[in-house]
Amino acid sequence: MSGSETASATGHAGRGASLLVAALASAFGVLLLETTSVLATVVSGNDVSRIAAVRAALSIVAFLFITIAVYVSAIVTTNTVATVIAGRTRTIALMRLIGSSAGDQRRAVALDGLKVGLAGAVLGAAAGILLSFAGVRLAFGAGLIPDLGYRLLEPLLALPVVIVVLSTWCAAWVGSRRVLTVSPMQAVGAAQERTLEESARRPGRNAFAIVLMATGVLFLAGGVWAGQVTEYGVLLGLAGGLLSFTGLVLGSHLIMPPMLSLVGRFLGGSAPARLAVANASQHPERSARTTIGLVIGVTLITMFAVAGSTFETMMQPLMDDPVTRAAVSETVSTSLAVISVLVGFSALIAAVGMINNLALSVLQRSREIGLLRALGFTGRQVRAMILAESVQMTVAAVTLGLVLGVAYGWAAAQSLFGSVTHAGLVAPSIPWLLVTLCVVGTAVLTVGATILPARRAVSLAPIAALAAG
Amino acid sequence: MEITSAELGLAARVTNLCKTYGSATTSVTALDDVSIGIRRGQFTAIMGPSGSGKSTLMHIMAGLDEAGSGRVWLGDTEITGLGDSELTVLRRRRIGFIFQSFNLVPTLDVRGNITMPFALDGRRPDAAEKDWIDQLTDSLGLGDRLRHRPHELSGGQQQRVAIARALATRPELVFADEPTGNLDSRSGREVLTLLKAASTGYGQSIAMVTHDPIAASFADRILFLADGRVVEDRERSTAEEISGIMLGMEQCA
Ligand SMILES: Nc1ncnc2c1ncn2[C@@H]1O[C@H](COP(=O)(O)OP(=O)(O)O)[C@@H](O)[C@H]1O
Ligand SMILES: [Mg+2]
Repeated sequence: MSGSETASATGHAGRGASLLVAALASAFGVLLLETTSVLATVVSGNDVSRIAAVRAALSIVAFLFITIAVYVSAIVTTNTVATVIAGRTRTIALMRLIGSSAGDQRRAVALDGLKVGLAGAVLGAAAGILLSFAGVRLAFGAGLIPDLGYRLLEPLLALPVVIVVLSTWCAAWVGSRRVLTVSPMQAVGAAQERTLEESARRPGRNAFAIVLMATGVLFLAGGVWAGQVTEYGVLLGLAGGLLSFTGLVLGSHLIMPPMLSLVGRFLGGSAPARLAVANASQHPERSARTTIGLVIGVTLITMFAVAGSTFETMMQPLMDDPVTRAAVSETVSTSLAVISVLVGFSALIAAVGMINNLALSVLQRSREIGLLRALGFTGRQVRAMILAESVQMTVAAVTLGLVLGVAYGWAAAQSLFGSVTHAGLVAPSIPWLLVTLCVVGTAVLTVGATILPARRAVSLAPIAALAAG
Repeated sequence: MEITSAELGLAARVTNLCKTYGSATTSVTALDDVSIGIRRGQFTAIMGPSGSGKSTLMHIMAGLDEAGSGRVWLGDTEITGLGDSELTVLRRRRIGFIFQSFNLVPTLDVRGNITMPFALDGRRPDAAEKDWIDQLTDSLGLGDRLRHRPHELSGGQQQRVAIARALATRPELVFADEPTGNLDSRSGREVLTLLKAASTGYGQSIAMVTHDPIAASFADRILFLADGRVVEDRERSTAEEISGIMLGMEQCA
């Protein structure tokens, strides 16, 4: 495989993943809006004036989850674009060398993002609409819903499509900022990703990330405190959550490497494990990009689960009656199940991103893997190395996601319900079943996700891989 | 009984080796009935114009690529028909490699790269091997660079690290494919002097592929390849003599 073929292969893989992510987000948005529309019609029994009111309430909830899905997909797309560009450094440098401006190069990437976003969003919306038609027909056939005039084609459906197109476009633009740092000289010399030392040495971004995180934590604490007297404490908490999490995403290249090397200590000292640890921790940006989506997914799921079950704990002392207690418990678990499905969708998008990033990083390192094979790394050792890398990243991401999720979930419950239950500060309650499911699910997913790239890496003949640019 | 490579004093040999690429309609003959032996303890250059089949020959001799037909030995081990995992272990334990570029693992520092063949075998160098590596890194001028990573080194320094790695396990045969191809002439000369010293100093067998007459003039013996065939076999020659032979080959073609 020649260098330009590798570059275009990673480009295709990246485009495919971005298309899928945009389609998933848009399909999710459309399906959710269709569901609220159908639910509203059923609940209000075709009474047009009531439908509007019920819909408004449901739509707010729907948009909360659509926003989460779009946020996650934007982060995933940003990272995918950044990964593709990191792999294309040589080609970009060559274009710069022969006279193309960095701005032109970047605009081309962003335009590509716009097209991919448009195609994905439209495809996803079409799939969403088809699914809702099929769903309504099935539900009606099964006698689950009455025969009412369901309106499944509405102008409102364009909203998620537009949001997804714009966010994909923006994500491609943000993800392509690295184009600006490529110097024409890199076409001549060895082009490399920024190393640990270099990325730690970006004072502006690092300081901003730290300030965001610190402010966020202050706001969260303020939310919990204010939540003792008013449920509006949750607004402070929400601001704190968003600020601190954005800070975390921005500073992930500082946080992930120490976590990764900590996890790496448990992988043992075999050559594949040592190389895996070196790979993950020497390229903090790459490993942060690969893992941050997963951190977001796990954080979200854990957050809602912990918030729900902490709320239940806070309510316990107020309810002497076992019947009420059971009723509340059931409501909480039903809502949690629904929320888990809704958030699970965002986690799925995050997973697509992680799988894709892992595959891209193997593709981009085919020369390195070819060298290892030439020097005497067996196919099994290469597979072990890739598996160790993904285990390391998964464990670090899931651990961080769990810790964050518990903290955010607890803060949410305290700041929203503290004034209602007057329970004071209670310890966070963790629904172990859900957490276990989440951990097992991610583990299966990431190990599964390494099978294809690992097989690909091993199947490359060492000389072909060494010849790849 | 078949005569062995050892009896012939050969570190490796091939007989009647052929290799074609592509399908029937678009086939390219890279090697056409090549039979050669690489003598033990010698520095051998495999010389020829671009596209003459040098790299293909080296890849097949090193177990990186499969022969079309013919037989290949490393020492007394026939490697034709060995499976991937046997070839892998053979490369790890008995062969050293130096490529034109991208020789080093970017995530490992100099020491990590040099000791990699041991790590691949799941062991650490023993005391004697440690001494040997120290001696190598000192003589290659890498003593104060052991904690650096490849991108912090010049091309010539990177190539010296690759030499140290290739020599660290004292392999039966070191293959070098255009090791000076990416270097300026001074660093190139340094690298060639080091390879020559390894062969005269402690009898390291080396097979170097090159199209550069100056590089070939450092070798004890020069095999000339043209259009996939061996056309000349010379003992040590000057760069001028080698250039002359190359020019003659081109005029014949
Ligand atoms: N993977 C390949 N596929 C098709 N043809 C190849 C391949 N590798 C080498 N060749 C062809 O085989 C011939 C010899 O190539 P090579 O051994 O690389 O020559 P050298 O190293 O002497 O420049 C050339 O004509 C080349 O084009
Ligand atoms: Mg060649």
